[in-house]
Amino acid sequence: MSNKAITRVQTAVVLVIIIAAVAAGAYITSQPSAPPTTTTTTGPPPIVFKDTLIMGTTDAVEVSLDPAESYDYFGWEIIQSTGSSLVDVRPGSPAGPSDIVPALATSWEVSSDGLTWTFNLRQGVKFQDGTEFTANDVKYSFDRNVFKLAIPEGPQVGIGYGDIIKSVDAMSPTQVVFHLNIPFSPFLSLMAAQSSYIVNPKLAPEDHAVAYKEGDARASSPMDLGPYVLSSWVRVAGKDNEMRLDANPNYWNVSGGYPKTPHIIIKFYSDATTLRLAIESGEVDIAFRQLRASDINDLKTKTNVKVWEGIGAFIQYLVFQEKMKPLDNPEIRRAIAAAVDRPTLTNTVFLGQSKPLYSMIPNGMAGHTDAFKQLGDANYAFTREALAKYGYNENNKLKLDLWYESSGHYPQSPDQATVLKSSLEGSGVIQIELKSADWPSYRVNRNQEIMQMYILGWYPDYVDADNYMFPFLHSVGGSWIHMNYNNPQMDDLINQARAKTDAAERTQLYAQAQELFAQDAPIVPLFQGTAWAVTKPNVGGVVLDISQSWRHWLVYATEGPAPLLQIGWLASIITRFATEQ
Amino acid sequence: MQTERGRIIVQLIPQFVRLSKRGMAGWTVLIGSVIVVAVVGMTLLAPWIAPHNPIAINVGPIMAAPSSEFPLGTNHLGQDMLSRVIWGGSMVLQVALISVAMCVAVGVPIGLLASYAGGNTDKGTSLVMDSIYAFPGLVLAIAIAAMLGRGVLNMSLAIAVVYVPSYYRIVRSQVLTIKELSYVEAARALGAKSRSIILRYVMPNVVPSVVSVATINFADAILTAAGLTFVGLGLSVAVPDWGWDLTYGRQLLPAGAWWVIAFPGLMIVLLALGFTLIGEGLSELWSPRLEQ
Amino acid sequence: MSLRSYVIARVLLTIPMLLLLLTLVFLITRVLPGDPVLLHFEKQAKPEAVEEFRQRLGLDKSLPEQYVDYLTGVLRGDLGKSMQDFSPVAQQIFSAFPATLELAIFGMIIAVVLGIFLGVRSSRSYNTGEDHVIRTFGIATYAIPVFFLGMVLQLVFSIQLHWFPSGGRIYPGSEPLGLNLGGFHLATGLYTVDSLLEGNLSKFVQALRYLFLPSFALGLVLCGIFIRLTRTSMLETLRLDFVTAARARGLKERTVVYTYALRNAFLPILTMMGLQFAALLAGAILTETTFSWPGLGRYLVDRIAFRDYTAIQGAVVFFGLLVALVSLMVDILYAYLDPRIRL
Repeated sequence: MSNKAITRVQTAVVLVIIIAAVAAGAYITSQPSAPPTTTTTTGPPPIVFKDTLIMGTTDAVEVSLDPAESYDYFGWEIIQSTGSSLVDVRPGSPAGPSDIVPALATSWEVSSDGLTWTFNLRQGVKFQDGTEFTANDVKYSFDRNVFKLAIPEGPQVGIGYGDIIKSVDAMSPTQVVFHLNIPFSPFLSLMAAQSSYIVNPKLAPEDHAVAYKEGDARASSPMDLGPYVLSSWVRVAGKDNEMRLDANPNYWNVSGGYPKTPHIIIKFYSDATTLRLAIESGEVDIAFRQLRASDINDLKTKTNVKVWEGIGAFIQYLVFQEKMKPLDNPEIRRAIAAAVDRPTLTNTVFLGQSKPLYSMIPNGMAGHTDAFKQLGDANYAFTREALAKYGYNENNKLKLDLWYESSGHYPQSPDQATVLKSSLEGSGVIQIELKSADWPSYRVNRNQEIMQMYILGWYPDYVDADNYMFPFLHSVGGSWIHMNYNNPQMDDLINQARAKTDAAERTQLYAQAQELFAQDAPIVPLFQGTAWAVTKPNVGGVVLDISQSWRHWLVYATEGPAPLLQIGWLASIITRFATEQ
Repeated sequence: MQTERGRIIVQLIPQFVRLSKRGMAGWTVLIGSVIVVAVVGMTLLAPWIAPHNPIAINVGPIMAAPSSEFPLGTNHLGQDMLSRVIWGGSMVLQVALISVAMCVAVGVPIGLLASYAGGNTDKGTSLVMDSIYAFPGLVLAIAIAAMLGRGVLNMSLAIAVVYVPSYYRIVRSQVLTIKELSYVEAARALGAKSRSIILRYVMPNVVPSVVSVATINFADAILTAAGLTFVGLGLSVAVPDWGWDLTYGRQLLPAGAWWVIAFPGLMIVLLALGFTLIGEGLSELWSPRLEQ
Repeated sequence: MSLRSYVIARVLLTIPMLLLLLTLVFLITRVLPGDPVLLHFEKQAKPEAVEEFRQRLGLDKSLPEQYVDYLTGVLRGDLGKSMQDFSPVAQQIFSAFPATLELAIFGMIIAVVLGIFLGVRSSRSYNTGEDHVIRTFGIATYAIPVFFLGMVLQLVFSIQLHWFPSGGRIYPGSEPLGLNLGGFHLATGLYTVDSLLEGNLSKFVQALRYLFLPSFALGLVLCGIFIRLTRTSMLETLRLDFVTAARARGLKERTVVYTYALRNAFLPILTMMGLQFAALLAGAILTETTFSWPGLGRYLVDRIAFRDYTAIQGAVVFFGLLVALVSLMVDILYAYLDPRIRL
């Protein structure tokens, strides 16, 4: 062979060797070492529970972990796992009034006028430094969060704690009393919300919220008394990168066997695709929020992961800006609402994983009625007839702007907008122009009332129909939406429902309110999102109920002992047997 | 800069060209042109040749693989990928065209005037242009696009600002060379006005290099536009756009739907490649003439 | 002129350029269609809250005052406060930077190695089919959007073949810790280096595995120019008299190629590396998003989504300064190695 050919062959051989080495190395090192486990030494090595679980999520802490300030889903998730409240909602329940269970309070009673709530506190509960938990800590938490700090974007202001609660008094170390301004019926549910969680006064200064502190997880959160302690919170370049939760030995419910898994590592992923890849490759044990519908469906076919589904209490809805004609006319609003095609929306965008919603109150929650069913889906005959009265037809279409947020704040917003546009235009008499803005701009646009129609979403602050009616349809409670809807009759119905304690009466009132809602149509409810999580097959304890809470302390993973261990045990038995002959 | 290496390059280029580069360069330009014409043609003829409405949803099953009915498959909304690919070049081409036009309209006159004027004007402008040129292009485009917001014009402007210095530099180097030529000096001595000198002597010589730069600029503009869309500074989702399909299609990859990114991506590559080939070929064809 | 005078002259030239660069960024981030401050309030902003926000960020001062603050801030290493949580932008940038640096270094290594290898081959089979193929390859790879290439690599080598992980820098929980001797702690932020400092070979291999696909995408897109450069440089050198003489003396072809010809190409390649650094950073921005690489590029993209103008400004300034610094260093290095250009 010529010189040239020889060198060519040499080069080729070298290349092949390099590629083979890299591939081999890739295969060999592709399985990371298993995390440590605890085992016993008698009998065959038993099935054990994993010591550490890794959860992946695309969420992140939006502001901080201070309940006076935190009003985002993930912040509340961590607050709930690292803190405790007076009462809790029983996991897996429909979160009704009979589903409230004791937490830091063991019993409670309300006065006949509904204005005074008395809680008897659990005794012997300790903060991490050994100080005993008393009623003063409860008083401190509420005085601070609701009255002293009253952070404008915080949940206490958003939900209107100050309007509900007049004062909090510590009657004795184990008894605390709430004096209310109004007889607020969902008060217990409100006490179970993360915005009512009790802080450690030593870690929560009176004059400012607790912020993320680099390298010091303890100083980054005022929460104590929960099933876990926040032992590490790492941000890289301003983005949450990793969090670690370690079991709290002082947790008041340690005797119940909680938390089931002593260590949780939370890894933050930037988007649904990388999270999906992570759970599929086994890099994380749990993937929760937010995966695409198509990925969920695809993962359901895989055998190396388990897909959990639950009821979502997340809703999305379309808002009409009544300041912009002709949206001030309820008949036109109803006409547009009738053209919405929810089944197409939920089937195309979410592949059937979310449910059409015909009420502000989600399916499964007390007070829900399918009020908007009367307008139907893609009810084009109705739309055309109603709009014809105002001179709109195929040659003179009703032109509208439809806005959606474009920075991933809600799941698959661009898809939703595209499908909605298609549905509305299917009537033949509506023309939609799509407009989008990233979330911060979207919020400003909303506040400045420049968006004609816009899509918003909502997670419940507390699981009660009131939290789906007051913040939207009440003239005061719904002012943050800026849609300029004001109906005194609606206000009255909602106020009454808030104050009543009888569940049947409340349901009646909400039914009336929702009938009125369907007549006025200031908002069009679109769908209710299903909650789902994807985990390794050996994970258990995942509860996806209507409260939307992810309870870290319930989750566990089983692990058979490593095969070698089993073989080793078997070998030792055999040799023992053999030598004993 | 008459270093050893410089002289060698100057000597060698005509050799290259004479040998077979002229043929090679010719082929390059031809292939590039064919590609560009085909793609642009396809985009212009879109209303007539696209089988479906590119933004109509559910024309086919969701995320269906390429088949006889849908040759390029469908995406997550049941939209036909073939129609989306045929229509998708429109935005990218518009942005590229407008930004190149802006660049030429701004960069060439500035280059001509500043370098012809010489002195401090020349030094000052060069300094500004060098600063912009040294900046990583995409970063600058991102910064500008982020501030201006969405829209074809805004995106074109963001890209244009990044490339103006390239035109400035090439025009300036031409002008400086030509300024020294004897017949230009003669014309000046005879009292010819600056304007006519620029128009009669400088411009004709500048045109070839500007065209070369423009074609490469086109390719870069296409890639930068795609890049801007990828980082979230793209146009509205209602418009079919290759960049958008690429960006969004990425989310469908793990489920195995490779066709949503493959074909739009291929089109971007083809178009950029076409322009690059034209530009490379042209600069090779024309460079020997300039060196003489 | 001597090296010292050249360095001084070059540095002096950089200063007005840097000033221009900073001013340019400042102007860009002040040409806003709306009020950046209002973009960060959920409910109807109370005027006092807005004012407070403005004051905390120093945006209530007049434009010239802001400009001066901005310039002096940069000198101090203060790039402002993030609009999201008022934490120092400079700190965030420095914590994200090592990831991008590592990606850039390996991307450059791959680009240069590929470029030299293919360039040499191309020059040695001058004008044959192989030459044309390689040259076309070089041009073609440049036309591929780097994020598209990244996606293709991810699809093939990660999702289908499972040879490489699809994203991130390392398996959760196994970040290299760097050197830890007694109380002395040294960590560079570059996982490959830190794992070696820690003495943990398995972490080193893991870091390389995670690094491979993104840097390969980057390197592939940039190798074209190195191919061309190497090829041209090799071609012209191989024709020179002293090379012919060496061949005539019977020196092995390989020696001729590598010791003489390639050494000649070294300087232009070095310069090109410096020039391509800007393109490398731009490519890194796009690659980092595809591979969830937690570096500066992804930081910039995230900040864009949140309209965090101070952070965007800070990141852009940082990029500009970095590129200016690298090109300065390359120029000085070049002047040191090749006295001719100091003239």
